[in-house]
Amino acid sequence: MRILILMAFALGASAQEDELFWYDNYKEALKVAKETGKPIFLEYRCEP
Amino acid sequence: MLSPKTSPLGKQLANYVCVRVTRMDNVDIALFDHDRNNTIYFYLLNADEQIYMRYGGRDSRSADSYLSMESLALAAQKGLDLHAAYKSGKLANVERVKPMSPREIPLLVSRTFAQGSCVECHLISDFQNMHREQDGKLDKLVHLFRSPDLRTIGIELDVPKGLEVKAVSGPALQAGMMPGDRIAKWNGLPVWTFADAQLAYDKVPRAAKEVPVVVDRAGREQTLTIALPARWWWTDTRWRQSSIEPRSYFEDQPMTADEKQALGLPEDGFASKVKYVAEIARSTKVHELEVGDVIAAVDGVQRDGNAHTASLYLILKKTPGDSAQLTVLRGGKRLEMPLRTVRMSFRK
Repeated sequence: MRILILMAFALGASAQEDELFWYDNYKEALKVAKETGKPIFLEYRCEP
Repeated sequence: MLSPKTSPLGKQLANYVCVRVTRMDNVDIALFDHDRNNTIYFYLLNADEQIYMRYGGRDSRSADSYLSMESLALAAQKGLDLHAAYKSGKLANVERVKPMSPREIPLLVSRTFAQGSCVECHLISDFQNMHREQDGKLDKLVHLFRSPDLRTIGIELDVPKGLEVKAVSGPALQAGMMPGDRIAKWNGLPVWTFADAQLAYDKVPRAAKEVPVVVDRAGREQTLTIALPARWWWTDTRWRQSSIEPRSYFEDQPMTADEKQALGLPEDGFASKVKYVAEIARSTKVHELEVGDVIAAVDGVQRDGNAHTASLYLILKKTPGDSAQLTVLRGGKRLEMPLRTVRMSFRK
């Protein structure tokens, strides 16, 4: 369980500029991926 | 670690469009097909919704037995490599499965959407299974046991290194697998992570006697044929109780051949010893089992090709609400005892 918690924190949403931006809308992420040519990193997680 | 962009993993993820989904309302559950009882699960894919790989999966011991930051970073790097290959036309397209919305599951709609409740991941498979049961299409070996464990065939992974094998025993050893091998294909499907391998393993027909596995050994591919033991698909399901019905409110353990022989029970039978009885069994009067009882037979049956315990036999053969007659050995006496199976309240 420790790894799971660590992962949740490490990948956690953040508003800080130096941290990753996470979309919460899959369709929007698809659109951005099309526009940027980037792949998608999709996380399914139970709402804490 | 808490500033992803400055961590090794964060540097890789900066090359992705990251998206987090916590409600399953509008998810294509056919495309994103995994054991819904995982707490966390990842997909690496492109804008055409071609999935490069999955990351996640678990065993019955813990939700994070197969998770590590190191292996997630490996997966993220491999995902970038595959994406580069895709963009340059070097990656074969995978045929898209027919989409399916959670809204196509009537019980899920009436119990969650219509109530404004959260569409929890596990509810998708729980209610799908209820429909399958009603339609006579529930294949319990397939639909209740979705996370087969590689350890069942003797494969111990070096988890931080992804699909690199750390130790080998049993059927995998007999097939020639070696420590240091990296599993590359499972039953013909390319696999990059434990989640990929577990999903490919889950897709193996339950009656299969062997599974082909390709390993990368020092840069060369070797194809191994691993013999599948009885119940290779089985895992301890206590961590996912909402998925498993019928309930009988007791736990048991398999008996050794010597224990069975001493009691005059068939060695290949599913006789088992009761190790836990839930208090609710008393109050609901579904049975009168006690810890230490030996269940010698269910409805007069002692053997089953798929069950190694009486509780598994009940799960596989009974529908919630069914009755059964147990033959129980207690203190040197043989008892005949009725049992009634139960459906969980949230499913009623």
